[in-house]
Amino acid sequence: MPRLIIDNQKIEVPEGTKVIDAAEQLGIMIPRFCYHSALGAVGACRLCAVKFLEGPVQGIEMSCMTDARDDMVVSTDDPEARAFRRFIIECLMMNHPHDCPVCDEGGHCLLQDETVSGGHDIRRYKGKKRTFRDQYIGPFVQHEMNRCIHCYLCVRFYQEFTGYRDLAAYQIGYRVYYGRFEPGQLESPFSGNLIDICPTGVFTDKPARYRGRRWNMERSPSVCIHCSLGCNTVANARYREMLRQEARLSESVNGHFICDRGRFGFGYANLPDRPRRAEIGKNEASWTEAVRALANRLTISDGASEMKKTAVLGSARSSLETQAALAILAGSAGWPMPAYFADPHQSSVCRTVVRRLDEGLAVSMKEIERADWILAVGADPINEAPMLALAMRQAVRNGGKAGVIDPRPVFLPFDFTHLPIPREQMEFCLNHLIHSGIARQEADDAGEAVAGFYAQLPEEAEFEEAVREGISTLAEGLKQSEHPVLICGTDIVPLSTPDLAADHAHLLNRIKNTCGLFYILPGADAFGAAMLEASAESAFEDLLKAIEDGEITALMVVENDLIGAYPNRKRLETALDRLELLIVLDYLSTPTVDRADFFLPTTTVFETGSCFINQEGRLQYAEQVHAVGAPIRQLRGRSHPPREHRDEVPGGDPRPAWRAVADLVRALDLDEIRLYTSGPESWLTGSKGPFRFFQEKIYPPREGRILPAESEVAPFKSSIKKEAKKPEAGTLDILFVDRTFGAEALSALSEPIRRAEPAAAAFIHPKDASELGLSDGDSAILRFEEGDLEIPVALNNDMARGLLVIPRKPDLEWQTAGARFPRIARNRIAGVRKETE
Amino acid sequence: MTRNKPNIWKYSLSAVKGIYDAYAVSMINFLRKPVTEEYPEYKRPLPERSRGRIILTRDPDGDERCVACYLCSAVCPTSCISMESAEREEDGRRFAIWFRINFARCIYCGQCEEACPTLAIQLTPDYEFCQYEVLDFVYEKEDLLVDHGGRHPDYNFYRHAGVTEKGDKGAHPDEEEPVNLKSNMP
Repeated sequence: MPRLIIDNQKIEVPEGTKVIDAAEQLGIMIPRFCYHSALGAVGACRLCAVKFLEGPVQGIEMSCMTDARDDMVVSTDDPEARAFRRFIIECLMMNHPHDCPVCDEGGHCLLQDETVSGGHDIRRYKGKKRTFRDQYIGPFVQHEMNRCIHCYLCVRFYQEFTGYRDLAAYQIGYRVYYGRFEPGQLESPFSGNLIDICPTGVFTDKPARYRGRRWNMERSPSVCIHCSLGCNTVANARYREMLRQEARLSESVNGHFICDRGRFGFGYANLPDRPRRAEIGKNEASWTEAVRALANRLTISDGASEMKKTAVLGSARSSLETQAALAILAGSAGWPMPAYFADPHQSSVCRTVVRRLDEGLAVSMKEIERADWILAVGADPINEAPMLALAMRQAVRNGGKAGVIDPRPVFLPFDFTHLPIPREQMEFCLNHLIHSGIARQEADDAGEAVAGFYAQLPEEAEFEEAVREGISTLAEGLKQSEHPVLICGTDIVPLSTPDLAADHAHLLNRIKNTCGLFYILPGADAFGAAMLEASAESAFEDLLKAIEDGEITALMVVENDLIGAYPNRKRLETALDRLELLIVLDYLSTPTVDRADFFLPTTTVFETGSCFINQEGRLQYAEQVHAVGAPIRQLRGRSHPPREHRDEVPGGDPRPAWRAVADLVRALDLDEIRLYTSGPESWLTGSKGPFRFFQEKIYPPREGRILPAESEVAPFKSSIKKEAKKPEAGTLDILFVDRTFGAEALSALSEPIRRAEPAAAAFIHPKDASELGLSDGDSAILRFEEGDLEIPVALNNDMARGLLVIPRKPDLEWQTAGARFPRIARNRIAGVRKETE
Repeated sequence: MTRNKPNIWKYSLSAVKGIYDAYAVSMINFLRKPVTEEYPEYKRPLPERSRGRIILTRDPDGDERCVACYLCSAVCPTSCISMESAEREEDGRRFAIWFRINFARCIYCGQCEEACPTLAIQLTPDYEFCQYEVLDFVYEKEDLLVDHGGRHPDYNFYRHAGVTEKGDKGAHPDEEEPVNLKSNMP
């Protein structure tokens, strides 16, 4: 442990620590451009020069390139070091366009700060400035190459950290250029981080271009709700409009970066057609009127306290507060307990996840980065949870092995083994793989339960040659692995897979002493929703059945687009027609909202402080960013804000959904005073509340896992089949899947995301395509019983046979298929030739 | 104890003197040149740099100088300036889609003018714009924008800053041709 002195302060740091980090630990921020703790040091900018007065190194040296060693005496503000840094800044500014007034980085620009603090103010060099032409690099990032100081951060991040190759450094010497070979959209779904990482204004936020400076923004720590990972962000709003999202450092969740879906997906909060007034029937009403009228409709007759039996459907995108409030409302009104997932498949798998995940198994993304063997089952990380792909890449960069068992064409920005196994054989493949990677002796040594489970695993498997090779590579990796991690998706896996994955994680945990289990869930607060559903044993299928039987005549849907989410459109329509009363609370304009008899507008995550539990059971709090109300820009278009004074904020009616529930409880005169007399803390904490595993009962809560130390479910109870299930001949499996851009319901409404999303296409194996007479780009018409679905096909070799993978885009009426995992006979697929010019 | 008897003559004399002294002062000043300026009949020409009503000026080409960089609103001690910037559709030039100064709040300190990098915002000697309604003090961009360059008629920010607004990169006086990325020449 080297001990050194920096600016007269002693410090002891671990071996291998750079001097720049040692100084930072003392609170001394040495100026830097090219050094980034996630990307390491290259010594390109020369700005972190300090003077080494005594010890093994002497004189001016780069603090990011020098390891801290014993007896070093470092001065960061030695006159010589200062003069050196000022000279560096002067050189960096020689070709700078000096266009800060029109540059969006101005105000949070590192180059600006260092130039001013270094004391450089006059450009002494009288020569001409070098210029570059800029490129179009997609709808997310604006490129202005003249401002570049050539620190190489962008290319190091883009190529080394995220593994994409289309942004690179071109040319040599003083002509070095960072860009693409040809102008075009950046391929990486992490390109938005270039905006954060660039120390000057070369890469700036395109959607928020010119909309405000850092000091104009209302900034709050927030949590991304566009997938289940719960990455930490800083949300920026101005004039009641969300303008920017930046990544916020979280050691255990997302590190320094976020994906583009999270960064640019906030557009739904600003939509001009966002419903902002309560509606009775189709008539606008004030909030109080609407709640009172609703309470009257829910009460069967005047005077009698009996109430209409109402089914409640919450959502996985709602905050935990809202979900808990719904449970309290339903409980005290004597209604069936609320369901939170419209999709029965999601409901079932998420409940399994919540039952199985405990402190012993759960791992964060940070721990995934340290894993040396990762196997993902039924998961497509880049599309379902993009930041997970980045965490896996770091593990692979550190020498880990990664494999994916998934029928879809899975792309990941690193070397991995893809086993394109049909959906119903995934479990068999997993069982066989784990069996091959564990020696019988190891299993026998780990105790009876493990040995018994191991003995059930299939030893032999008939797969194609390529798959067999992949399995043996991964099995070999597992044999040598010390920190394995299992990732289990929930979107397309069979219902029993999350249980099986947990059992395998237990198996590896007993044998290797450590094994992480990482689930991907379908929604920002799917974990909280599944916790509440699991403890109440409620499910939307039961509620729907009761509606069909006429036992329940009213349905309350909260922040859920039921029509878009339920996989059987026809059945749902029939059930909705039987309803007497459909109550919808939402902040989006959805088909469900259009059908509502009563509508109450609710607030987005940016307008209310709210809790979310991510897929590893981590509770996080997103703070309120801006006040409720229509964005000022929407009141007068591009002209100046209105010139009148009003008592109320225009469009300021929406309230948090849990507040709506509390208002309703009060209007119904229910005996639940805690809902409106105190804050959410009282109803989140209770003995059955979601915070029951949480030690500190405070609100807003501190970040932390809310998992039990040990799951109540005993491991190794999965039933294991010795034979792989054969796919049915003559039919194609259809999978409706998530995509990075355009399939997730909220971000799909965002303008920049819409521009970036690829055209909808169904992936199909070339052999299946040729059997069907389809070629790349042709349209396939799928003739389901309820209607036709037309979609262009894209051929892909890297996927299972007998399969059609269709993105679950909101504008694609995939619900006509009538089931979550439909099969379609080959003779019901018709092809339409692509028109050729 | 003896009482002092008032001297009636002495009192009378001082009273008469008082009256005549005052007349004398009036008479002397009556013959002097007056110093009072008859506002509003006479309006004193103020120095060019005196700080009154704020204007937004134009550059020599007749374009708005303001690029809505938010610096004046940032520096304003009373937060009386607000604006929003946007990209002009025809040539990508940054400009203010709206720009508002609340003169009821303004203290005419001139810091906005000092902060302005394009010399767009300038204080003028005009101080006569009283209103009965507070809202009438809120000036929008169309009220602020003038058709001249104010005190600095020749300055054009875009000729000096190396950003393109019209035309190609490298078109400014102190710039080289853009780097040819496809060239192999050393």
